Amino acid sequence: MTTDNSGDVRLCGISKTYGSFTAVHPLDLTVPQGSFFALLGASGCGKTTTLRMIAGLEEPTTGTVLLGDQEVTHLPPYKRPVNTVFQSYALFPHLDVFENVAFGLRRRGIKSVRKQVEEMLELVQLGEQARKKPHQLSGGQQQRVAVARALINHPKVLLLDEPLGALDLKLRRQMQLELKRIQTEVGITFVHVTHDQEEAMTMADTVAVMNAGRVEQLGSPTDLYENPRTTFVANFLGTSNLIEAEIDSAAGGDIVLKAGGGKLVLPRARCSAPATTGGKVLVGVRPEKISLTHADEAGGIPEGRNRITGRIVDSSFIGVSTQYVVDSPVCPRFEVYAQNIDRDPRLVPGAEVVLHWNPAHTFGLDAAQDIDAGVGTAEEEGA
Amino acid sequence: MTTLTEAPPPLAPAAPGRRPPRRRGRLVPYWLLLPGILWLLLFFALPMVYQASTSVQTGSLEQGYKVTWHFAAYGDALSAYWPQFLRSVVYAAVATLLCLLLGYPLAYLIAFRAGRWRNLVMIMVIAPFFTTFLIRTLAWKTILADDGPVVHTLTSLHVLDLTDWLGWTAGDRVLATPLAVVCGLTYNFLPFMILPLYTSLERIDGRLHEAAGDLYAKPFTTFRKVTFPLSMPGVVSGTLLTFIPAAGDYVNAELLGSTDTRMVGNVIQAQFLRVLDYPTAAALSFILMAAILLMVTFYIRKSGTEDLV
Amino acid sequence: MAFVNWLKRNLVVLAGLLTLGYLLLPNVVVTVFSFNAPKGRFNYEWQRFSTNAWKDPCGVSGMCGSLSLSLQIAVWATIGATTLGTMIAFALVRYRFRARGAVNALIFLPMAMPEVVMAASLLTLFLNMGARLGFWTILIAHIMFCLSFVVTAVKARVMSMDPRLEQAAQDLYAGPAQTFLRVTLPIAAPGIAAGALLAFALSFDDFIITNFNAGSTVTFPMFVWGSAQRGTPVQINVIGTAMFVVAVLLVLASMAVGNRRTKQKAQALVGS
Repeated sequence: MTTDNSGDVRLCGISKTYGSFTAVHPLDLTVPQGSFFALLGASGCGKTTTLRMIAGLEEPTTGTVLLGDQEVTHLPPYKRPVNTVFQSYALFPHLDVFENVAFGLRRRGIKSVRKQVEEMLELVQLGEQARKKPHQLSGGQQQRVAVARALINHPKVLLLDEPLGALDLKLRRQMQLELKRIQTEVGITFVHVTHDQEEAMTMADTVAVMNAGRVEQLGSPTDLYENPRTTFVANFLGTSNLIEAEIDSAAGGDIVLKAGGGKLVLPRARCSAPATTGGKVLVGVRPEKISLTHADEAGGIPEGRNRITGRIVDSSFIGVSTQYVVDSPVCPRFEVYAQNIDRDPRLVPGAEVVLHWNPAHTFGLDAAQDIDAGVGTAEEEGA
Repeated sequence: MTTLTEAPPPLAPAAPGRRPPRRRGRLVPYWLLLPGILWLLLFFALPMVYQASTSVQTGSLEQGYKVTWHFAAYGDALSAYWPQFLRSVVYAAVATLLCLLLGYPLAYLIAFRAGRWRNLVMIMVIAPFFTTFLIRTLAWKTILADDGPVVHTLTSLHVLDLTDWLGWTAGDRVLATPLAVVCGLTYNFLPFMILPLYTSLERIDGRLHEAAGDLYAKPFTTFRKVTFPLSMPGVVSGTLLTFIPAAGDYVNAELLGSTDTRMVGNVIQAQFLRVLDYPTAAALSFILMAAILLMVTFYIRKSGTEDLV
Repeated sequence: MAFVNWLKRNLVVLAGLLTLGYLLLPNVVVTVFSFNAPKGRFNYEWQRFSTNAWKDPCGVSGMCGSLSLSLQIAVWATIGATTLGTMIAFALVRYRFRARGAVNALIFLPMAMPEVVMAASLLTLFLNMGARLGFWTILIAHIMFCLSFVVTAVKARVMSMDPRLEQAAQDLYAGPAQTFLRVTLPIAAPGIAAGALLAFALSFDDFIITNFNAGSTVTFPMFVWGSAQRGTPVQINVIGTAMFVVAVLLVLASMAVGNRRTKQKAQALVGS
């Protein structure tokens, strides 16, 4: 890695209000040079507004935008070394693919564009389509033209606004890999806005989860998934089982909690809430970390694991795994994903079971939050 | 679901406070509007004011006119020319109704039944426009000529007896009768009915017809319950686009009618250009304008379609 | 029975075709009578076939002069109304400003006003100002009544335009002027062309407003009007027929070009 920081994006206290509505609350964010950064959130969370403020299409109400060491807050978009891949691409319908890609070069007064445009079309594998009009291309091809049209200008930062939103699922997965490949190849900073958590996690080095105009949490995909710090992040990224529990003792590296008559252990390091004896926390565990044992075999479960008893109310077989919903005293809809390795035929709805997991997989959240924040928001998006 | 944050309107209201230099473009819309709006104010709105003022003036061409708030011009104009006013409204209403009856099948044909002939039929509807309408109106003098085939046919079918009895024709003539004027008005403004009808019919999803059929509607029921209600915007704008110019027209009455078919347009034209009685003419024109605006407003309210422009 | 069923199914087609006949009949008459050799001053009765009028279309004094005047006025009125109307349309769609309602009303009213009212009131203004009636007063009037139609046509097109296209241009280093010239204008062009065409047709064909505000100047429709009183030369029919034919040919030609393009597109799509 070089020490060049001209591709850093730094947002210092930027916010945006429309009349009495605040789209983005004052926000500080640094995107380091050469990284693939994703802004993830449901529609209306302020992620697109943030992107548009970097692009110069929206002026921040407060705060400054810096690219490297240059302040660009009040520069119009056509004077910023930043390019955008727009939602639904915004390809110029009256120009062919070649002219669409050459547009930026020509506007900057570059005369001989042919070689550069052809190279760029090769990079996105569209060399054959140069003389077609955008509407003659498939969705995936249009998407690649939009990327080429932006990248040819060698921007310091490439902004992508839901670039894959208009594609079907299969093409989307393919384009995700392709965009990642291009980013690695050209090595410039990508800032990617999406509502698709899977997309953000597969592509980005760093993800900022946004909710209601604020960044809820920022980190690597693994970090966000394993150590969510808010119920919103826990529920929005994948699925979490959250249990309200009371702190029984908080000595040493482990916190012992009381929940529904049983005891649970939570590593102190994985608890983002203040741990005082008698206080409440939300205990979380991901469904795939949990093992399911029929109540008759409960004796065989090793010591030291967190346990919860319950009854299976629903199971659905989805090939690689089976998803169970378990009714337990601490949580009426406990979700468990079990790999289909050795399926126990007794695990059917109605069966009494014990859920158990390694305490190290437990995380703790502040109990003062809405336990259901972020539930279902990702699904609503598709409608 | 797009909310304000995700896709802000291209021009969100400017936030208060210090404005950076870029937003001096806020005057741009006013510069864009200025010349055109000024033109309309000077040559459309201002003349209306002048006309209103002329209508309450007295004087003569030689000595000049003065505003004397002489409202009698309105009373005089109405009492002298109420038959022409009535005629304008009746002729225009009948012509509009005929346009709707004649135009609807053609618009329907173009929208749903023309197939690959659609463009050709469309051209045939629009192309006559390119021959000056006065020439085409004069052609009706030939078509409706006293001993021409049309009059012969109508006479032998005893249609003329019926229209004579109704007072639409006189003797064995069609020319110089109300029927000829209405026929000319219908002909001249028919495309103004067909085009909006076609536009709103064309927007109707063909699958709606199939759905209606699937739900046990017979073809005519489908039309009555689905197609016609959905084409209402076209019916409303078509009838307005036909009625308004027809009510103010004087060309058809002049070329195809007689002194007994004179409409208010003929009177305004004569008062302005031949008699040179400006106050009376202005008062007549003002009354016509007010009457039309009232009718249009009432009609639009009643039909609930306010998005005509 | 089969015939009755066929009739039932195709009743609307038959009715539509009858209307089409009604619309086209006068054009047929105009064309046929352009080959007439009338007795007397009026060309209303068929006498015998003759191509004299076609051989000498400008043989009537004043007619071709009025035709050329009408064309000139139509061209200038089109340029004026299209320019002003396009500017208004852009302001209406792309910007926020005060008094939008009043502006919309001012655009709508001329279209909802009988021509004779506009004609008469405009004449009152010109008389009050002591303006000399003629070319300029006609042009002023034509730009005025064509303006609203251009605004409506252009507005429809600009409204359907994705504002992101202009943002994309800005993002790709095009300043405001470049964005307008390279992106906005080309994409809005079909709407502007439609507005211009409409303005040309309206101006060229206008009689009522022109009649009031022309003074002693004679445009082509006014020439026809006058001849309806004094005697209708066959040449009028020649001009009417020629305009019809030229218009149809132009439309057919542009459609043929459009068709070829569509076919190429289809081939390109199949090929890819």
